Formats: sequence, C-alpha cells, structure tokens
Amino acid sequence: MTHTQDKKSMLSQGVFIFVYLAVLTALEFFVALSFGSVPVLVVVALVKAALVLYYYMHVYQLNAENESDENSYEYKTGTNRLGLWLFLISDTFVFGGLMVMRLNLLGLTRPPLNQMLGLIVTSVLLISSFFMNRGETLIKNGDRKGFLNNTLITFLLGLGFFIGVIAVEWRLAAHEGLTASSGAAGAAFYMMTGMHAFHVLTGLVFLVIVWVNGRKGLYDEKHYPVEAVAVYWHFVDVVWIFFYPALYLIGTVAG
Amino acid sequence: MKRKKSLGSGFLFLLIAGVVGYGVGLGLDLLVTGRPHFSGSVPSAFTILFAFTAFFFGIYGYRGITRGLVFQVVGTLVGGFIITGIRALMGLSLFGGFFFTEPAWVLGGVVGAVSFLFGVGVMSDWVKWARGIDTPEHHEDEPGWEKYFGVSLDHKVIGIQYTVTALFLISVGGLFALIFRTELAASGLQFLNVDMSLFGQTGPQLYNTLMSLHGMIMIVSILLGIGGIMNYVVPLLVGAHDMAFPRLNAFAFWIAVPAAVLLLMALVLGGFDTGWTGYPPLSAKAPVGMQMFFLGVFTAGWSSILGALNVIATVIRMRAKGMTAWRLPILVWAAIATSIISLTATQLIGLSFQLVMFQRLFGMGFFDPSKGGNPVLFQHLFWFYSHPAVYVFVLPGLGVISELLPVFVRKPLFGYRWIAMSSLGIALVGFVVWAHHMFTSGMNEYLRVPFMYSTLLVAVPTGVKFFSWVATLWKGKITTPTPMLFVLGAILVFLLGGLTGPPNATVSLDLHLHDTYWVVGHFHDTIFGGFVFPFFAALYYWYPKATGRRMNEFWGKVHFWLMTPSFLTLTFGMMRIGLLGMRRRIADYDPALGFDSTHLVLTICAFAIAISVLIFFINFFHSLKNGEVAEGNVWNSRSPEWQVPSPMPAHNYEIPFEVVGEPYDYGLEGSKYIEFVPAQGGKH
Repeated sequence: MTHTQDKKSMLSQGVFIFVYLAVLTALEFFVALSFGSVPVLVVVALVKAALVLYYYMHVYQLNAENESDENSYEYKTGTNRLGLWLFLISDTFVFGGLMVMRLNLLGLTRPPLNQMLGLIVTSVLLISSFFMNRGETLIKNGDRKGFLNNTLITFLLGLGFFIGVIAVEWRLAAHEGLTASSGAAGAAFYMMTGMHAFHVLTGLVFLVIVWVNGRKGLYDEKHYPVEAVAVYWHFVDVVWIFFYPALYLIGTVAG
Repeated sequence: MKRKKSLGSGFLFLLIAGVVGYGVGLGLDLLVTGRPHFSGSVPSAFTILFAFTAFFFGIYGYRGITRGLVFQVVGTLVGGFIITGIRALMGLSLFGGFFFTEPAWVLGGVVGAVSFLFGVGVMSDWVKWARGIDTPEHHEDEPGWEKYFGVSLDHKVIGIQYTVTALFLISVGGLFALIFRTELAASGLQFLNVDMSLFGQTGPQLYNTLMSLHGMIMIVSILLGIGGIMNYVVPLLVGAHDMAFPRLNAFAFWIAVPAAVLLLMALVLGGFDTGWTGYPPLSAKAPVGMQMFFLGVFTAGWSSILGALNVIATVIRMRAKGMTAWRLPILVWAAIATSIISLTATQLIGLSFQLVMFQRLFGMGFFDPSKGGNPVLFQHLFWFYSHPAVYVFVLPGLGVISELLPVFVRKPLFGYRWIAMSSLGIALVGFVVWAHHMFTSGMNEYLRVPFMYSTLLVAVPTGVKFFSWVATLWKGKITTPTPMLFVLGAILVFLLGGLTGPPNATVSLDLHLHDTYWVVGHFHDTIFGGFVFPFFAALYYWYPKATGRRMNEFWGKVHFWLMTPSFLTLTFGMMRIGLLGMRRRIADYDPALGFDSTHLVLTICAFAIAISVLIFFINFFHSLKNGEVAEGNVWNSRSPEWQVPSPMPAHNYEIPFEVVGEPYDYGLEGSKYIEFVPAQGGKH
C-alpha cells in the first residue's frame, strides 16, 4: 500500500503528510478563533494524530511478518519495535491522566495564553517532525550526510520549541498572573506543558546521541536506533497535537 | 586484598556503621536544632542508611548492591545540599525539622534513586551503547551465591533476586503489622502512647505510620513476588532462553531497591498518617515522610511497568515452535493479563502521587478546593490504578492455582480456554470498576449504580475459574504434597474473599461497611487467597527447579496447618467486629464496644501466622544446603521446565522444544505436550 522503500516516493510522502498536517493545524486555529466548535477540534486532532501514527511512526510495521531466525537483526528489531510501542502505550496513560485532570478541573474554560505564541511553538514542533521523518528516510537509503543535516535541524527546532515553552511562554504566562500556585488553571497549564517539555528534553538527548553516533557511521547498516528516536519524537508531537487544542483552543478563557 | 566475606562480618559492619551513622546524624541534628534528639528522625535516618549499606559491604564487598547503596546515600546528600544551596542564594530557611527542608529531601530522594542505578551498574551497558560502544549480548555470571548481589542479566537470577527481596519486604511489612496488632490487643493505648517518641513521632502517630507502611510495603512486596514468579517461570514455560530485554529486566528489578529504601525513609522522616491511599487534603499536610512515600511508590511503579512490558514482549516474540495461543501454559495467560494492567494503569498512581508532590512543593492547586482544585479527582486517578492493582496481585496467583491443580489431580484442566479468557476478562472489566471505592466520597451520585454493576460483573469471570477448579478436582486422583495443600488453601481462602466482595460492591450495603474492619477482613482474604497462598505454593513447587533440592515436606505441612486456621480465624474475627462497628485505621477503640476479647484472639492469630512464616523461612534457607536432592521431575509434571534436569542450566534449554499437543492432558493415554527437537545450524 503505502509501504514503499523507494527513496523518492518516501520523501514526497513525507512532504504531502506535512502539508496535510499544516493545513489541519491552520484549520483548527481558524475554527477556534471563529465558531469554536469543540467536536470539530477533537476530530481534527484525531485526524492529525492518525496521520502521524501511520505515516511518520509506521505503526503498521508492528504487524510485519517476520519468520526469520530468532537471532537475526531483523527479528530482534521487531522485538525492539514492540517494546518501544508498549512503552509508548504506557506513557500515553500519563498524558491521558493529565488530560482527565485538565478536563475535570477546567471543563470548557482555558487558561489565558498568548495565541500567537501557541501557534508558533506548535508549528515549530510540527516542522521538526517533518525533518525527523526526512532524516530517518535518508539514513534508510544510505544517505548519511542528509540524515545528519536533517537530524540537526530537528534538534534545533526541538530546542526552539523547548525554549519557546519554558523560557518564553512560561514567563509571559507568569507575567499575566498565571503562576503555578495561582489556581487550577495555572496548575493544569504548568503541569501539562512541564510534563510534555520533559519528554521533549529526553527526545533532544536521544537526538544528540544518534547524531553523534551517526557521524561515526554506526547506523549506516543497522538503522533501528534512528527509527526508535524518530518514533519517540513523533510520539511527543502526537501528545502536543492533543495538548495544543486542550490548552489553547477549546472553550472560553477563564475569568 | 582478600577479606573474608561472611554473614558475620556483615553484621559486624552493620553495627559499626550503625553507630557511626547515629553519631553523624545526632551531630548534624544538634548543629541545626541545638538540641539532641536521641530517638529523633535524623539520627535514625543516618543509622539506617549507613547500617544497611555496611551490611552488604561486609558480606559482598564494594561492588554491586553495596556500590549502589553508597551512591544512593551520597546522591541523597548531594541532592539535598543542592537545594539547600539554592535556598541559601534565595535567602530562604536552610534547614527544617528533619535536617533538610522538604524540597531538599525530595530532590535528594530523586538524585539518590538515580545514583543507585548508576552505582549498582545496571545502566553501564546502555551508557556504552549511547557512546557508540557495542557490548556482548550476554555477560557470564560469577558462580555461587555472589551473583545474586550484583547485576545479572539472567532471568533466573533476576527472578530469585525479586523473590528474595519480596520475602524480605514481606517480613518487614509483617513486622509492622505485628507491632500495631499488639497495640490493638486491648483497648486503650498501651505502648504506642502519647508519651513515647520515636522518629519524631508520638505513639499514635507511629501507629498511623506503621499501619500505612504495612499496606504499601506489602503491596510492593507482592509486586516483587509476582515479578519473581513471572521472571523465573514465564521464559521457561514458553521455551525462551531469556526475557526479551535482559537489561531492562535487570533495571526493573534494581529500581525496586532504592524504592524500598525510600519507603523505609518515610518511616523515620516523620512518618505520615494517611493510610496507604495517601488521600489529600491530609496528604498535602502530612510530614516529609509523605514525600518519601510518594517517591518510593513512584519508583516502585516503574519496576512494575517495565517488568510487565518485558513479559508481554517475551510472550509475543519468544515462544517455542508450535506454541499457539491455545497451547500457552495457563500461567502465561495470567501473566499477560496482569501485565496489561501493570503496563498501563500503574502510570495513574504515579501521576496522582506526583500531583500531590507538586501541590506540596509548588503550591499547585490540583486538589486544593480553595484554589479551584478537586480532592475527589485524586481519588479517581488513584483508584484507576489501585483497584485494577488487586487484579495485578491475584491474577498470577490464580494462574498458579490453575497451573498446579492438574499436576496434583492427574486430570486435564477443565475448560482451558474459558480460564484463559477469564483472566483477560477480569483484567479488562477491572479497568471500569474503580469508583466503587468512592461510594461515600461525595462523587456524583449518578456514578454509583453503573459502578456497582460493573463491579458485580467481575464475579462472572472469577466464577468461571472456580467452576473450572471444582470440575478439575472432581474425581481426580488427588495427592496432597505441600504445594497442593497451599493450592487448596488458596481456593478456600479466595472463595471467602470472593463471597465477601459483592456486599461491598452493593451501594446500599457499602455505605455502612465502608472503612470498617469488614473491608479489612475482605481484602486480606482476597490477597491471601489470590497471592500469598499461591505464592507459597509456587515457592514449594519450583524450589527444586531453582536449587536442585526439595524443601522439607514435614515442616512445609506444619507451615500450612498453622497458617491456614490462624488466618481464617483472623479474617473472620475482623469481619465480625467490622459488622459490629469497628473502624479501620484507628489505634484505639472504646472498651464499651466489647471488642477486647476478639482483638486479643486476632493478635494471637497474627503471631501464629508470623511463627508459621518463620518456619517457612528456616525451611527455605536450611533446605538450600540440607534439602533432599531432587534433580528430576519431582512432581511428575508435563511442563517443559521439568523435562530437563534441576537446577536449570544457565541458558535454559540446550535443545529447543516444540509443542506437539495440549498442555494439560494429564492422565490421557499417549498424549504429549512437547518434544525436544535439535535446532538446525547450531544452538542459540
């Protein structure tokens, strides 16, 4: 189906998916600003998450038939892939719990946040996912230099997101009177963005590790570590696909 | 340098370091508060940390667990002083009632736990991989007992490490129970009274701490016990040469050790008085011990999550040839069901405790109504794990019952597929029953009835298991060696636990039964029937597999016949006084209620159980060297692990096996479960 190893079509697939995601993000921003329909926002977020899960995270690979020798690299990669996805399922429950906390405490109100900044950091993270996908595709096609460049761009964008949230957004929010101890809205905002930023930070560490080792040529043959980092990075993106509307878009600004 | 390492030198070092630690703690405390607290928190904390570490130094030297503990102690101090330094820069108070301030203890606890993992050496291969250095897939273990004190990647070694740690924690939790059970033997406060002071707590406060820690330490020990059974047995049952991720497996075990240390720190750092559930608003105000408790549970949670991940991956990816879903050993089905819950729901108890931690540290108002928070939200998050958790505890135990029963009645397991599915059924229904703990909490009333029905639904898959066991026993050739006695005991006790469940699930009754000793009796029945009895059965059953020797049969039977009647009396008594109005979690009760004599009987029963477990321990360690040699198929089982000699060879099956028939066709002519088939092109 879409499972192709052809370099050119893989790269252009990445571009198409990115365009879809960008259009959908613009759509949800528009919906939030105009008629603010929560069901539409939920549907858009689900579609975006599905696109990332399928095309960037290759969830279908879990089902790949693998009858080869149990000690082969391919078989062990399959096991590692399963392990990573199990971990992501587990991690989903943390973020799910945070989402439940937010809905329970705030309902259909949202914290007073800077809309423009929210859109910018969201776009930065989305673009970083695009470059991550490119980097992964390139190393699988033997292009080490392209992989290194794209991973570096991913890292820089990720760092930009991290700084944008922790150094800029947190400071702006505190300036507006939204602090960790100011009330339920502040508590929910700092907890959700903080937990997500912690995951971004670990993702950045992994990116540095694969970049350094990739430069030594460690992944020219065995590229599963790159795939693992990519899947993790996209997972962090998927979380933000839900957290962004939950914090910035749905409902009305609290009192 | 060759130094003699033995238990004797371990205790010698323990004494010396204990005294040194006490002196250091007393000195630091004196420096900060200006008054000596001879039985205070700080000297006790240092005594415990130093003595614990030195003990392992004495028996094992500076490596493995000793190195981990030294790292943890140093890491705790470093983390604490970092925050203290930051506070100095910010002009805040430097020290609190427990030497460090609360934030300093929290960061100290985190840094300490992480340092332990680096110190013990469980991270070293991962660090090498991150630096681009390849490591061999297996590391050879040193021979003898010493491999159990350091990092090993062998699932059998890790399984035994889990089991022994679980047994250690069971004795600690049991000891706590004996202390407060003794206080309850008569009304009035006898020795845990307001005049005494230990660890910065008065007697009744200490009662609360011990009662709360009894709950959580037992829960952690149960999780480790399950980890022990699953780690040791599951790869053997499915014919794997190890778990899917050996390093993660070692990590999951070793992270439980700093967790246990943190939980013990909770005892000495002021304790806490919330019970194991840690509900805010009380937990938002309790002493620093509360934070240590949260950290300890959070850390232990990771052990459970990662262990579960490994079990699922192992079963999916590493089964022997021909082992299709309907030919999996029944215990493996139970392990899968348990692991599904541990993998996912455990995150929610970690999250709920983390939120209270942050509420205490940063004033975040999650559960503080004055800041727009909601205390009931905590209970939802907490019970979303903590109810399914009881299925985590009992499912492997019920699996052990179903696994062992056919061996000792020489008959096929009745309704294999139904049992397999009932484990999954319990696990999945378990996800939607949590709010039955909250009928009296003030949650929305319309939630009560749906949760009542979903809870009652659990009885259906559980009933399936009972009918299967009864039908398996029917007309069987029953023999009763010790493991079988414990299996039968488990069935009886779990039946009582099961039958006392529906009254609690029914809203109208629960409003009266909530927080009484009835509930205490009920859940001790379920946990003993679902975990403790099957755990002992598993230990007696697989002991020869691990050691090549049998445990003494006579003393095993003494253990059983002393423990079972005492335990039944204990829980019946608890339920009786509970129905008459005895509340749980209180240090004292009104003599006019007339409970004194019952409580005295309960205390005697508790000591009888303790003596029976002591007999078990002596038997367990004595048989290591002196037990009857048993290298063959002791129980005449069809299971693959018994078809090879005991103790199990280092890399499990030299010749891999193929599954050719049904697993539990005991007594059927000519039936065969597995066949050993030499692999083409060499072995693993």
